[in-house]
Amino acid sequence: MKTIEIGRFSDLAQALSTAGYRVAAPVDDGGVVRFKEWTKGREIALGAVPVDSVKDFLFPRSEVVARFALEEAGAFTPVPVERFAPKTVALGVRPCDAAALAALDAVFNWDYRDGSYNARRAATTVVSLACAKADAHCFCISVGGAPDGTAGADAILRPADGGSKLVFEALSDKGRLLEAMVSDGQAVPDAPAALKKRFDPAAVGRWLAANFESPFWKEAALACLGCGACAYACPVCHCFDLQDESDRKECRRLRNWDSCGFGLFTLHASGHNPRPDQSARWRQRVMHKFSIYPQKFKTLACTGCGRCARLCQAGMAIAETCERIEALGR
Amino acid sequence: MMKALRQEAAKLLQEKRAALIIGFAEREGHPALFISKPEDCERLFYDVSCRQNLAAYLSKPEVSARRPVAIVASLAALRSLVVLTAESQAAPGQVLALAVDKDAFLGTFDVAGAAELLRSKYPDLGPEKALLERVGELSKKSVVERAAFWAEEFAKCTRCYACRAACPGCYCARCIVEKNAPQWVSTAALGHGNYSWNIMRAFHQSGRCTLCGACEAACPQGLPLMVLNAALDREALEEFGARPGYDPEGKPVIGSWSAEDDHSYMR
Ligand code: SF4
Ligand code: SF4
Ligand code: SF4
Repeated sequence: MKTIEIGRFSDLAQALSTAGYRVAAPVDDGGVVRFKEWTKGREIALGAVPVDSVKDFLFPRSEVVARFALEEAGAFTPVPVERFAPKTVALGVRPCDAAALAALDAVFNWDYRDGSYNARRAATTVVSLACAKADAHCFCISVGGAPDGTAGADAILRPADGGSKLVFEALSDKGRLLEAMVSDGQAVPDAPAALKKRFDPAAVGRWLAANFESPFWKEAALACLGCGACAYACPVCHCFDLQDESDRKECRRLRNWDSCGFGLFTLHASGHNPRPDQSARWRQRVMHKFSIYPQKFKTLACTGCGRCARLCQAGMAIAETCERIEALGR
Repeated sequence: MMKALRQEAAKLLQEKRAALIIGFAEREGHPALFISKPEDCERLFYDVSCRQNLAAYLSKPEVSARRPVAIVASLAALRSLVVLTAESQAAPGQVLALAVDKDAFLGTFDVAGAAELLRSKYPDLGPEKALLERVGELSKKSVVERAAFWAEEFAKCTRCYACRAACPGCYCARCIVEKNAPQWVSTAALGHGNYSWNIMRAFHQSGRCTLCGACEAACPQGLPLMVLNAALDREALEEFGARPGYDPEGKPVIGSWSAEDDHSYMR
């Protein structure tokens, strides 16, 4: 059995870093726990669900996808864009965030195989951390996950001996490559967090497919203020916008995160907006996650991490919406 | 206090002075609660941990379609209501405020009444002491140090625009950050684009911001946005005598011009 003392967890990060990996991990950044690049000497914060997820390392919030040099008025030449895909180990990924990778893999390899996503995905080893605790917003268990779920992970760390140790278990070839960096030991794994199933996603999907025009949406979306906090924090949300920006020397084509919550998301150049109000946008968010995605990709686009609800200033909670929908369908 | 607030809200609905009440819910985080039946007013809640500025909903089309509307309003939200009226964004006579201050219910006010209440009882609302101290500490630093401080903070911004959505003062149908012909602000959630975005937003609120704190509370990345807002608030006050939210007919300092302004910078 491979074990790590909690107090020595940064040693593993250091060993990985020495072995040439970029290490991503939850770190306390002035009171906010962020999933970001680990640097020597930083404490790794394993206790809290970070505000960002491993998604940011595979699909960054802004990325240059094409570049053109401007020579003289009107003349430009394409400049190859160097692909940024360093060998990375994502440490302490929540099981819900690792589970989200299946949904991301599906969309980034559907009608088009996305080069930069796939390059980073191939270069990344996901070491997840089973949850010994869950909060009121967690609902992985309702959407097919579990606090000790292994989907999407190359290795998993399980809290043991009352939280003082972690048991390392490799789950794939990539994960087995790291085994040598963890020492042998003995520990008794702790029980994973206990969660109650809150709703049945299949029942939610059935109601959604039949109730596009329901008056439910108008009332359910009144509080939504139309920001992108939920989509940006979501480990599955992957919509992006392409923008061209230039200065006198070059033009860059950027891929930026986008959100279906924004009014501009579907605004046509003609001025027509097929999703004219926030209820149409909130409906889209719920439909996409629980009806469209499962129909198209055979997987939900929500893994129950609870981030959207934890962060929403207006209290929009997707699990609660699903509970209400399930009740409507009864 | 809660009893008086609930009774008054129910009365407004019964007497048809309001068709919709926007208040705070009791559940975790105390998010906005929308009520149109008098009996539901029992669910209204208020204490200082209610962080949203409900005046932000007044520019939402789904809400204006249901006027007359009454919002539960802290002193800062009352000021926002006055600012919105001065900027022709709140239909007078169509919006009422159920005014609250910490643990007191102050009564129902229309915009003129709210302005009168603020002028007579709370004439010098401004940033809290702790916030001013942070501004003071930061202004002691050199320009280079300050720029570095903000660069580090702004680097965390994901451009989710939760701050903008939270703010009653951010009601533009198309924000300048989303204009692309020409493009004023880089859309990349990186270095200089983030710097421009955050400074631009704070600047557009200078002399209009009522220091409600909703933007900072909404920011998922924990940016200290109030430090910026408080610094600009003091500047607008000292340089232009601007105290937003007291005069429903007052022009916002950022949208007005006077021959007496200092023009010495123009050559
Ligand atoms: S929709 Fe919400 S709960 Fe579901 S995966 Fe996304 S952020 Fe997590
Ligand atoms: S800028 Fe922030 S503090 Fe000022 S009015 Fe807007 S939300 Fe409130
Ligand atoms: S809420 Fe925070 S992260 Fe989002 S755009 Fe505003 S400052 Fe940036």
